[in-house]
Amino acid sequence: MNQQADERQIIARRSDLTGSERRALLSDATDVWLRGLFVDAVESAKADASQFSLVAVGGYGRREMSLGSDIDVVLVHEPSALRVEEVASSIWYPVWDSKIALDHSVRTIAQARTLAGDDFKVVLGLIDARVVAGSTELGESLRSGILGDWRASAGDRLAELHATAMERRSRVGDLAQLLEPDLKEAYGGLRDVVLLRALAASWTVEVPRTSWAASVATLLDVRDALHVRGLRDRLSMQEQDEIASDLSDLLGDDASADDLLRTVYLAARDIAYVSDVAWYRALRATKKPASLAPRVLRRLTRRSSGSSNGPERVPLAEGVVLVEGEVSLARGAKPAEDQGLVLRAAAAAAQASVMLAPATVERLSACTPVNEPWNNDLRQSWVSLLGAGRSSVPVLEAMDQAGIISALIPEWEAVRSLPQRNPMHEFTVDRHLVETTVHAGERARDVSRPDLLLVGAFLHDIGKGYPGDHSIVGADMTRDIGQRLGFSDDDIAVLEILVRQHLLLPDIATRRDLEDPATIDAVLDKVPDISTLELLHALTWADAQATGPSVRTSWRRRLIFDLVNECKARMRADESDERPEPVEPTGVVEALAETGDATLRLMPADDGCLIVVSAPDRFGLLATVAGVLSLHRLQVRGARIRTSNGRAAQEWYVRPLFGEPPDERAMASDVRAAIAGDLDVAERLGKRSEGNRSLPSGAAPKVLVDTSAANHTVIEVRAHDEPALLHRITSALVASDSLVTGAKIDTLGSEVVDAFFVTDRLGSPLTADHADAVRTTVQATLEAR
Amino acid sequence: MKLVTAIIKPFKLDDVKTAVEALDVHGMTVSEASGFGRQRGHTEVYRGAEYTVELVPKVRIEIVIDDDRAGDVIDAIVGAAQTGKIGDGKVWAVPVDSVVRVRTGETGAEAL
Repeated sequence: MNQQADERQIIARRSDLTGSERRALLSDATDVWLRGLFVDAVESAKADASQFSLVAVGGYGRREMSLGSDIDVVLVHEPSALRVEEVASSIWYPVWDSKIALDHSVRTIAQARTLAGDDFKVVLGLIDARVVAGSTELGESLRSGILGDWRASAGDRLAELHATAMERRSRVGDLAQLLEPDLKEAYGGLRDVVLLRALAASWTVEVPRTSWAASVATLLDVRDALHVRGLRDRLSMQEQDEIASDLSDLLGDDASADDLLRTVYLAARDIAYVSDVAWYRALRATKKPASLAPRVLRRLTRRSSGSSNGPERVPLAEGVVLVEGEVSLARGAKPAEDQGLVLRAAAAAAQASVMLAPATVERLSACTPVNEPWNNDLRQSWVSLLGAGRSSVPVLEAMDQAGIISALIPEWEAVRSLPQRNPMHEFTVDRHLVETTVHAGERARDVSRPDLLLVGAFLHDIGKGYPGDHSIVGADMTRDIGQRLGFSDDDIAVLEILVRQHLLLPDIATRRDLEDPATIDAVLDKVPDISTLELLHALTWADAQATGPSVRTSWRRRLIFDLVNECKARMRADESDERPEPVEPTGVVEALAETGDATLRLMPADDGCLIVVSAPDRFGLLATVAGVLSLHRLQVRGARIRTSNGRAAQEWYVRPLFGEPPDERAMASDVRAAIAGDLDVAERLGKRSEGNRSLPSGAAPKVLVDTSAANHTVIEVRAHDEPALLHRITSALVASDSLVTGAKIDTLGSEVVDAFFVTDRLGSPLTADHADAVRTTVQATLEAR
Repeated sequence: MKLVTAIIKPFKLDDVKTAVEALDVHGMTVSEASGFGRQRGHTEVYRGAEYTVELVPKVRIEIVIDDDRAGDVIDAIVGAAQTGKIGDGKVWAVPVDSVVRVRTGETGAEAL
């Protein structure tokens, strides 16, 4: 052992200093030692000290030295310098003898710049270069030369650097989710901090200013604790308790491994979020957006290429625009007054697969908390955000970083980065909830209420942040949350069942005899109907997908599938034939009683307006009216359609895509013109740009045929919403020679669940062949892009 | 020593665990398994993908035990896993040459 190693041990264990003070002191002590070695080396070699510079690089250059850190140095020399090898050897040998790891090189400035041009690692190390001994001018020339080269070439090199970062991410994983995180190599770790510094130094990207400096210090403190125990950078499970107790300054007394991991995860998420934003911007800035930019973004970018007055602002939703690939607020938007803006912007960003600008996220946090219960606009936007599939993940992360999710749903705070220290789980509780929601979106077409599936998925483990059985605690919380989110009592009851019983199917399927009638009874006691059972089945599947490989096995899926099938068979057998008569909306009843020409009335309603149309029934009327609504940029949230005695009554619940509702008289006039054949709705819609058309979520659209009704055939469509979708579906029904006698239209977030009651032209239910032809035609229409 | 392997119905796992624990057996390996015997499987369609493999989900249990206790363990498993219906599973035992406990290096019966 030797004096240097001893001194480093003493400094690293000093409890009177903060982590950053210890690291700086360790670096300074190393400086003093190396400076002495340098002076002795130059003297004994009789070399010219002004022709040499000993430069600290990497973490040592940043004065972030840890006990286990290598000493990273470069001996820079003038090309004309003599006895270079002698000087170098005289410095390196004492370091090697001390058994402290040394990472060294000997180069001229030109050699270092050439190497940096080929190897990112050299660039990343040298941009933090700091002169320890010898010529300051020489050392500074090295640093400024490297920085200049990096800024000149970064535009061409960032895409490659990004690829290496993403390769490392896929190999090592996300630090914020790993049970045994590698503080250096995992995404959101110390390696990414170095990349962020390089990105910022390249001047091609604006790296968001957040609290990431504090998060870096947290990771460094934890790494110091590992190094003091003689460990490397990986926080393995068996050491987490001991490391937690070592870090009382950071975590407080009696900290557990969970406390440690949560602190590490939150810090890593901070760094990962800044990295996400920086890379998103960097890749856009390097003019190679093809791999990154989603289809809608490329289309919008194309459209806006003709503009010469600054960046184009493409409207995505009321108060929300797309600017330079990021979702921002429109000029007239007022976050403090427009409570729906926060979720409208988030949903628009997720549905268009683009980034929510960090500055916008900050402004939007002013929208929260919102008035409760939520209005329909907020609720629909929330469902639309949750239903956007994988694109919702970065948007939810941005919102969470700004505290918006906790402000909207305070129960969320307790599950943020909550570790699940069990190899069964791949994610922390909050991320598991988000991942479950993403997978639930893949099953949105398998259920009649995708909105309840998505919200149930997002909340199913919310009770894990609180004492007690998390399913029971979570169900109680879900009742409160459901009320605050403005769901109806019936919907809240379903959500409560989903959360309370989300483990029911796997528990029973794997632990009970499926052939025993009592097993089926155990499910039927807790799940009231097929619709709820299908929701629970979809949630169970999504939950397993988002848990881990040991849970998402086909073995387990098969057992659950068999159980659900048995339950469904029993439910169908038990189903009563007496179904309650549906209650028609007042508007529909009144409209049916009208006579004469087509009329249209527009009335304000909760977050939108009601439009009642009464007209003599004719083939294709529904498609015509749906098209006129689209022409007037109205988003259909729901509709009830009835025909009786040659009269058609339609009650539409709509919301303007932008601004105020259209003029009633203009709409009525257009409806009459379209019916008379003077307005070609299809042609007008065809001409309209598809710029703001949403991308579909993962699941394919679904068309179901139900022939059980006596008077008509039910065609049910489950698809992702998009402008003029209803017009396209109803036109397809017309094209397949079917008459719509009634319809129930529901838009749940970004998902539509529409049921059309159709007959043939003679008023009879469709034959099997005809129904199949209708299904094929509508399916083809939905899939045509 | 013997390696006792049992293929049982999944829902019988808890009963079997309780039964062998009562014999002072404190270690077993449990894994998911699929297969068929005389019970055969059946075909289902799930999300468009057909389960045509005719494999029925089962649980596989493995226990290494002294020769003189193997019979009791097998009896306990059979007793606990039996429903009397088709598909109850199988239990078999094979000789084991050697066992080493990785942590301590103990061998043979000491390692169990």
